[in-house]
Amino acid sequence: MASAAKRLEAVSGTIAPQIAFDGVTLVLGGKTIIENLGLGVRPGEFLCIVGASGCGKTTALRLAAGLYQPTSGRVNFDGQPMREPRREIAIVFQDYGKALLPWRTAAGNVSLALEAGGMPSAERPARIEELLRTVGLPGHAGKYPSEMSGGMQQRLQIARCLAQEPKTLLMDEPFGALDAMTRQGLQDEVLSLVAASGATVIFVTHDLDEAIYLGDRVIGLLPHPGRIGIELPVNLPRPRDQLSTREHPEFLRLRRQLFDFIKATEQ
Amino acid sequence: MNRTALVWRLASFAVAASFIALWQLIANLKLVSPVFLPGPDRAWAALVRGFSAGDLWSKLAGTLEHMTYGWLAASIAGIAIGAIIGSSRTMRTYVAPSLEFLRPLPVSAIIPVAIAMLGLTQAMALFVIAFGAIWPIMLATIHGFAAVEPRLYEVARSLQMSRLAVIFKIALPSASPDILAGMRLSLTVALILSVVCEILAGLDGLGHWVLLSARAFRSADLFAGVILLGVTGYVTSVAMSLAENRLLAWQAAQR
Ligand SMILES: Nc1ncnc2c1ncn2[C@@H]1O[C@H](COP(=O)(O)OP(=O)(O)OP(=O)(O)O)[C@@H](O)[C@H]1O
Ligand SMILES: [Mg+2]
Repeated sequence: MASAAKRLEAVSGTIAPQIAFDGVTLVLGGKTIIENLGLGVRPGEFLCIVGASGCGKTTALRLAAGLYQPTSGRVNFDGQPMREPRREIAIVFQDYGKALLPWRTAAGNVSLALEAGGMPSAERPARIEELLRTVGLPGHAGKYPSEMSGGMQQRLQIARCLAQEPKTLLMDEPFGALDAMTRQGLQDEVLSLVAASGATVIFVTHDLDEAIYLGDRVIGLLPHPGRIGIELPVNLPRPRDQLSTREHPEFLRLRRQLFDFIKATEQ
Repeated sequence: MNRTALVWRLASFAVAASFIALWQLIANLKLVSPVFLPGPDRAWAALVRGFSAGDLWSKLAGTLEHMTYGWLAASIAGIAIGAIIGSSRTMRTYVAPSLEFLRPLPVSAIIPVAIAMLGLTQAMALFVIAFGAIWPIMLATIHGFAAVEPRLYEVARSLQMSRLAVIFKIALPSASPDILAGMRLSLTVALILSVVCEILAGLDGLGHWVLLSARAFRSADLFAGVILLGVTGYVTSVAMSLAENRLLAWQAAQR
């Protein structure tokens, strides 16, 4: 309930942003990829970013992660300029196969984040087990990533990110490579994980339905260079439900609006 | 699977056995003078005699020592230098080509240089063996470090891992299949160079044993030494494979 209240406040804009883009421009290889992006993400907010392929969604996320530094403008985290990546900000990469250590078991992969956080080795096993249970992988601790399905690998990556105890979770099309059923299951799991931890989320997706289903707010980017083209608050009740939420008249209205926006950008 | 493996094993034994039989036949028929070619029977007897009455044990120990020290020195230096070069793009661009140029240089070319600088000493042998054995390890390490998945470095950055942790937890394990393959190649190089150095510098070892036997026309002893060298090469390479399989168990899971 507390997080619901926080979320409401967050959306209504009475709290200082956790992540703030201020006039951010990024030039890579002589090409302007992002231009004059201004955006505030409030603590506990679930922000979704959609847009045509190549419009700069991943780039925006990497700026938020501190993996890129803006050419001009500023990215702030909790009021401090982001100079480099930090443990409080966890990223779930789309290519989970590349983001996991193939020589470490599931437990070892989660352990990597705990080791980086300086947790004493005696405390790790219990925490690892807890995290693997949280993402629905109990009993798979001894498996190597290559012995797991795509959905399980992505769960494992999420477990490692949760082990960072992040204030902010950045997700780049995390479910893009998964089948529809696995995808819907993971959507609900992420929603409940986020509700439990109160983390701020920036979630990039190609899938407009997914964006509306998950988000408190959806932003659509325009390409060449990347900038904000549409911003839609999502006033759908939580907890969301795969059937009733997707049939909600508000859902359908937002879907229509986003769909028209994307269609217009593609022309 | 097990069955075909057994058949192959049996077939390879059969080949070896017929090879030895052929050798015995040639020796018995005196197709080659017994002064130069002893039969397997005489070679075996010389081997047993060398171990029980002679100093073959200490010769074997000498060769193993040269080989091991040289190889270990090459491994440590090769991995360290390879890691430094491989983890920096600038170093790779500027240094790697000259390494590729140096590598095909026959090590025998630097032996006179080493002798001139260090004399006919253990230090010279160690230097020559390490110098020859370092290349496969160093080049494999450079390649392994260069091929680390960039995404993993980003994971490391977002976890704010220290430089040392990145090397030991990400780069080295990721490069380990390459490095171990390089170390296995180097093992053979180290054995060959041990023998060469022992022959040239008269250092205690199988090379020296072989040289003395040849000079004295004790062909059976000569062959005993050669057989022992072959066995040494085989056993060390099998041991290396076993170590590789253990260390790279995660790769078996990948396939
Ligand atoms: N390192 C780089 N150097 C030069 N151009 C780049 C670089 N990275 C990305 N770009 C370009 O920036 C643009 C935006 O890329 P980005 O990956 O952010 O798009 P995206 O919205 O995530 O696309 P997708 O939906 O296909 O993942 C693309 O045109 C891409 O070619
Ligand atoms: Mg992308």
